[in-house]
Amino acid sequence: MDLQTLYKLKTKFVAREVGNEMILVPLTGNVAQMSELFTLNETARFIWQNTNENTTLADIENLMTAEFDIDPETAKQDIEKFMKLLESML
Amino acid sequence: MPTNITISIADFSIRLISDAAVSLEEGYLPFVISRDIDDTDITIECFQGIPSVPFPLTDLVFEATNETRKFYSIYRTANGLGFVMYNQQTTDEIQQIAMLDNTFSNWTVYLNPEDDGSLLPLKYPFGPIVMYYLTVKAQAVLIHASCIFDGEKGRIFTGFSGNGKSTMSKLWADEGNLVINDDRLFIRKMDAGYFVYNTPMYYIDKPKKTTLDGIHLISHSQENKIKKLSGAMAVSKVMAFCIQNNYDKEYIHNHLNFLSELCTKVPVYELGFVPDTNIVDFIKSNES
Repeated sequence: MDLQTLYKLKTKFVAREVGNEMILVPLTGNVAQMSELFTLNETARFIWQNTNENTTLADIENLMTAEFDIDPETAKQDIEKFMKLLESML
Repeated sequence: MPTNITISIADFSIRLISDAAVSLEEGYLPFVISRDIDDTDITIECFQGIPSVPFPLTDLVFEATNETRKFYSIYRTANGLGFVMYNQQTTDEIQQIAMLDNTFSNWTVYLNPEDDGSLLPLKYPFGPIVMYYLTVKAQAVLIHASCIFDGEKGRIFTGFSGNGKSTMSKLWADEGNLVINDDRLFIRKMDAGYFVYNTPMYYIDKPKKTTLDGIHLISHSQENKIKKLSGAMAVSKVMAFCIQNNYDKEYIHNHLNFLSELCTKVPVYELGFVPDTNIVDFIKSNES
């Protein structure tokens, strides 16, 4: 797992804040009607908002452990889970 | 015989011009308008004969396909978009080639004549493609849904295939209400609010329009039940049933912005229903 992969995944989505929530829509080139969109929970939204081209995995883990009072391993698992979710949408 | 035909779909005016005779499938005929319009929303110039594809086939951005069929391919070109549409009987024979300029206002379409010698430019899938690209340039979306007007309110019923859109239309029609359409609709934001319009189908139906006062996401259920949705959940669930070519970030942003605003102005409900006419009163009594 690396953050470059997550950043690349991020560029394949369009995000829109609606109130306090966020919707992700995948950029897709082969479907005429989408059957799924998804809204982000608090953790996923935090990862999304703090991932940019120069972010490292350690940066996000540190931010998450500070923000959510979780250990680095849990943070790492949450990031991995989020990346798998993004991949499944494409 | 030169042709100049104007049709009006969802208050969009569409002019078809050609040096050749142009005909329309019967579903489009009630949408033809006879009055002169100075300023049309889009123009479609129709040419007889299919040339070799007049744009490079290198920048493919979208393919509309399913397991068995290829419907059309879209390419980005120097001046806009290029479309290659396929015959739905033979699947790999090109039926129309079209180009849309960067303003989304001017189409050029090439096609072979029908047996009677006339051109049928809006033959599927081009007609629905033209309608979709109207939503890219305007405050509008196309949605797979049924819509009913009860004399006071216009309600949309949308959901997955088999969830009861046509059943719901029939139940309301049985109670004397007007079915706007039960398949594909335009939603537009106009000065006076949000409106729903029917679109030309394979059968003849006159143009219809109603205010949009509620959106119901429907499914069959053991009992009638309704729950109001809001925020991202409402937007994402309605968007899932809108017709989209999601290869361009700007199109998605436009639709998300449109639907985000729509869902703050028009209530969205999740509705489980038993397919009998009691659902009509249930909805009227339980909308909040």
